[in-house]
Amino acid sequence: MPPASPSSFPPAAQDASRGKKLQLLGILCGFAAGAWLGAAEAPTKLVSIGISPMVISLIMVIGVFLARWSLPALILGTSSVRADVRRAPHLVIWALLAGCLWAVANTLTIYAIRDIGLSIAFPLWNSNSLLGILWGFLFFNELRQAGWRRRAGVLGGALVMCVGATLLAIASSGHGPEAHSLHGVWAALGAGILWGTMYIPYRKAYLTGMNPLSFVTFFSFGELGMMSVLSVSSLGLAPLWHELLSARGVIFWLMLGGFVWVIGDIFQQYAAKYVGISRGIPLSNSNQLWGLLWGILVFSELHGRSSSTYLEVIGGSLLMMLGVGAIAFSSATGQEQSRWKAAAIRESDRYDVAADFVEARMDGRQLSGEQKPSRSALDWFLVIAATSIFVIFAAMARVPQISLHWGPAALLTAVLILFLIICGLALWRTTRFN
Amino acid sequence: MKATEPGLNTRSKWASILTDIHFWVPVAVLMGGLLLLRFIR
Repeated sequence: MPPASPSSFPPAAQDASRGKKLQLLGILCGFAAGAWLGAAEAPTKLVSIGISPMVISLIMVIGVFLARWSLPALILGTSSVRADVRRAPHLVIWALLAGCLWAVANTLTIYAIRDIGLSIAFPLWNSNSLLGILWGFLFFNELRQAGWRRRAGVLGGALVMCVGATLLAIASSGHGPEAHSLHGVWAALGAGILWGTMYIPYRKAYLTGMNPLSFVTFFSFGELGMMSVLSVSSLGLAPLWHELLSARGVIFWLMLGGFVWVIGDIFQQYAAKYVGISRGIPLSNSNQLWGLLWGILVFSELHGRSSSTYLEVIGGSLLMMLGVGAIAFSSATGQEQSRWKAAAIRESDRYDVAADFVEARMDGRQLSGEQKPSRSALDWFLVIAATSIFVIFAAMARVPQISLHWGPAALLTAVLILFLIICGLALWRTTRFN
Repeated sequence: MKATEPGLNTRSKWASILTDIHFWVPVAVLMGGLLLLRFIR
């Protein structure tokens, strides 16, 4: 149950105070998502053997799949997932759809990097946040009655972040584009459109009251299913199996990357729930900054590069931080939040989802009389099975033969854990993960 | 808002989904993405 509000406050003041608290929580989740999503690249940097990008992506998605079933089982229990699905079964379709969109977008980025290099590809697909803002405005009443300052803060912040991302991508790319190809540009733009559109299912689910932990559980089926189809159709079943066998020494590192990514994604989902996609997505796009910090401090990626590269990194980082700050200080007003509620009412009416459930979940609380989520033997089985699979692959893993700076790695890991504890506690105290 | 438990029959639920623009926009983008992937490969 959520903490009780002081009864001396009038209901409107309580609503406003709760709304502000949830906004702050969403912004905090956006920051935590950026840090964890950025760190997800670190384990994959340990993999230097020549295996197909498609196989790398598939193994990461397998790690993601395991984490997406075991973490919700550990945090709330699968009974909560089942209860959510009973209340809004139609959302399973959107969760599967979002998973498919993610898998196709991720595959397109592989081709984009191959054809035009990271420095051009990244800013192109990073435009996903701008599309997310558009969909949020058109379909879910985001930024309506927000006032020009807040609109300018969100839009301007997202644009400044795109410019910062461009500078960081140019600085972090080791060499120029490998082949100037129109195909690569289309692939990067396509990935941005797919990822930007993926936020329609996100927002729809959270406006209708689905718990982010339930949504990601079904999302993972779409993601793994589509990724498997793409891998098999691209490589063929036998060569794919052969590549998986030959990569068994690095499977653990890739699955670990997927696991770290899921933690970031869960925070991203909570950010999308509490501040909407127009603010939550640009905030979590700060992952590029964190990825670069890992690259520079731990893997010495820019070692020996010119001073202009360092200037690009500093300039890009400052722009990213400026954009993040502008969005963080443009939280939704009471008027805008009332428009979100109107969008939620529309969804509730259309799909006949209980109104009191939708309202309670928008406020990040349980419905009065709702059974408290509990863990069953099935949940512990899922947690133990996922852990065992990770342990088995960890035992097979080869220790990478690359030089790492352990001091910065420990510091960045400590920052991640700090984000996890602060954000996890804030989510627990304010919403009990609802 | 109606404070009732879900009660629509399956048929009308599917009708609600299939007439929802929130469904068709992601579906169209997914199809476009798959076609683009095929074209690139």
